[in-house]
Amino acid sequence: MKLIERRVSPADSPLALATAMIIAVAAAMLVTSLLFTLYGANPLKAYFALFHEPFATWRGFGYTLVRTAPLTLIALGTILSWRSGFGYLGFEGCFVLGAAATTWLALFTAVPSWAFLPLALSLSFTAGAVWAGGVALVRARLGGNEVLISLMTNYVAILILQYLVSGPMRAPGSVPQTALLPRAKWLPFILHGTRAHAGILLALLVTVVVWMLLRKTPLGYELIVSGLNPSAARYGGINVGARLVIAAFCAGGLGAWAGTVEVLGAQHRLMDGISGGVGFTGIIVALLGRLNPLAVIPAAVLYGGMTVGANAMQRRAGIPSSITFILQSLIVLMVLASDIFRRYRVKLS
Amino acid sequence: MRKIVKRFPGVVANCDVDLTIEPGEIHALLGENGAGKSTLMQILYGFHSMDSGSILIDDKPVEIHSPKDAIALGIGMVHQEFMLVRRFSVVENTVLGLKGFNLGEAARRLRSLSNQHHLAIDPFAQVQHLPIGVQQRVEILKLLYRDASLLILDEPTAVLTTHEKEQLFRVLRGLRDQGRSIVIVTHKLQEILELADRVTVMRDGRVVAAVSTRQTSEQELARLMVGRDVNLRTQRVPIERGRAVLRIDGLHVRDEAGQDKVRGLSLDVHAGEIVGIAGVDGNGQSQLAEAIMHLRPAHQGSVFLEDREVTRLTVAQHRALGLSYVPADRRHVGAITEMPVAENAILGSQRKHTRGLFLDRQRIREHAEKLIARFGVRATSISTLAGKLSGGNLQKLILGREILQDRAAMVVEQPTRGLDVGAVESVWLELLRERERGKAILLISAELEELMNLADRIAVMFEGRIVGILDAASVTTEKLGLMISGLSADA
Repeated sequence: MKLIERRVSPADSPLALATAMIIAVAAAMLVTSLLFTLYGANPLKAYFALFHEPFATWRGFGYTLVRTAPLTLIALGTILSWRSGFGYLGFEGCFVLGAAATTWLALFTAVPSWAFLPLALSLSFTAGAVWAGGVALVRARLGGNEVLISLMTNYVAILILQYLVSGPMRAPGSVPQTALLPRAKWLPFILHGTRAHAGILLALLVTVVVWMLLRKTPLGYELIVSGLNPSAARYGGINVGARLVIAAFCAGGLGAWAGTVEVLGAQHRLMDGISGGVGFTGIIVALLGRLNPLAVIPAAVLYGGMTVGANAMQRRAGIPSSITFILQSLIVLMVLASDIFRRYRVKLS
Repeated sequence: MRKIVKRFPGVVANCDVDLTIEPGEIHALLGENGAGKSTLMQILYGFHSMDSGSILIDDKPVEIHSPKDAIALGIGMVHQEFMLVRRFSVVENTVLGLKGFNLGEAARRLRSLSNQHHLAIDPFAQVQHLPIGVQQRVEILKLLYRDASLLILDEPTAVLTTHEKEQLFRVLRGLRDQGRSIVIVTHKLQEILELADRVTVMRDGRVVAAVSTRQTSEQELARLMVGRDVNLRTQRVPIERGRAVLRIDGLHVRDEAGQDKVRGLSLDVHAGEIVGIAGVDGNGQSQLAEAIMHLRPAHQGSVFLEDREVTRLTVAQHRALGLSYVPADRRHVGAITEMPVAENAILGSQRKHTRGLFLDRQRIREHAEKLIARFGVRATSISTLAGKLSGGNLQKLILGREILQDRAAMVVEQPTRGLDVGAVESVWLELLRERERGKAILLISAELEELMNLADRIAVMFEGRIVGILDAASVTTEKLGLMISGLSADA
């Protein structure tokens, strides 16, 4: 009797998925422990430092949520576009454009305060939607490769941002950044004694909407069919090109909202390097959540928390915070590799 | 093989199966898709483990846990999809997986084996340059190199041309005469009667008969395989032909390379009739079907549906105005294999299965359940992935979906390609039933027998044009055969 037996089809119950995920995270942490010992640190202490502040302190948890909001929005944008068959990678660009549009509206226009937030969200969404929609048009009309093009558009957007903060929108001073936004334009803080802001609520709301859209509506069905099998979609009377553009619009808009939330909730000004790579980390979060909108929340909290914990770890245990990035990458690798566990069962009898 | 039992989740694939193969015989294993014949062979070859039962070779029980064990016991298998490295030469492919070999020595042995069995294979030819039929002989040569005494061939003729098939049969007969045993897994009755000495028939995981091919007939084998009398001689009720529902007028269509594939084709399909389009593949039939549905733009000419010009309307509008389509490519166009049966059942009518803004899950479920019950789709449940269905069941799902949409006209392309007889019969009956319900059906098929059984009129298509329209009642296969090869253009 063999102890380990191959399954006919991989186990795909929620329990099996969760177990595989936990094993994967544990394995990644185990490997990272070796790196910790290289720095002469006790892995247990290092992990305590990494996770204590973001998850076990009130203030730290607030920071975790602040990191979670843009990650969630970008991950949701990734899910929408990827599941519709549009391999968009331009969230970094959408993020900075959304942030720039929001800052411009806050600093350089006289919008009545009640209209500011709706206008900021619409303007930012439009900026991101047009930015990503352009790539979708190139793909739908001319058959261009959206992966490469969208990746390149990031650099264009980042250069636009650098121009804005060092030219027309620059505040007096030595740092290339804009002036601080007036307090009235900030997103309200939602947890007393922390920096957690209302952007988190927006992220939660969008999560539910994206989940409903994909699972419950005919449009979502058409998007998913277009992504899985464009020929079958066309045969079923679905205008695949139009669905692609819709998906790109929403993805770009959500990417831009991540920028809006970051400016209005966390940074309160526009500066060079504001994204900090969140446009890519968000994609990783989506992968970690297996492109399932609801699974994005825990994945984003974990990633957001680790970003916060990385600094604490450097402070307390003297370990370079970049090791956190290695851990984050290892988790994704392990999770993707953990599929193999679901193909076997252990026979104890 | 004695009392082999193999269970998969939800099904018993093999139940007390006995199979005896004599030395020096060609043994056919016959059964519909899903009858368990492939599972049985995979157990014999060590791909699957059995739940109970035993395998004996020369009356001695053996244990087979992996293909390696099977090969060591002289069992070899040629899979439906060849297991060859395309960039390697024949000899490199042959020694792949063996320990301690000498390429020159191996090539010499291959050449002598090839000559001995009339396989005509150059050991140094690169596999990717060889035609399919020769690649198959390379697979056989590989087994001979390993000195297999029992050769299993899974659906060996599925990909072969008539000529290649005859060559294969000659080779197999030669091997039998040297005392080797051969098992062919198939659902083609004629080939069994032509080639095999004995046949074991499986149905629903059990052996229902093991007979000598001399004592049986095509009709009896079909009955054993399906479990009831199969009637492939259809009864067509004469009915009054109605108005012209689908009209094609001077249509020109180009393919991806910009070549004219349909050149000035005109045709009417009336309510209550099946118009067949006969032709060798590649004479523009697919482009015609796609252009009617506007999945491909018509370059010139027009398509009318119920007297309304639809040539340039979208696919969705075609569907709304009364046209449905069963495409030739079931797995890549007709269905989304990664999605469950229920989701596939609403493709094309997803906007109708709604309540308010949302999809109505309840109605979708009912619709899918009705579809699989009404059309006899064998699926564990409506949440089974469509890709897991056999070809016949998938086709019934697609055909059923298009029929349930209840459009005035239907374009049906190669509806029974690759299906076993039971599935063919049910597809045919459904199409005839739709005809009787007054639908206008355009049936594109490369199977002359299918057209002669179903169609009222047969239009012969050659190089993008209709070269003649024949009354199906008075046509002969010979005449059709001549016309589709472009030899006689007078009707």
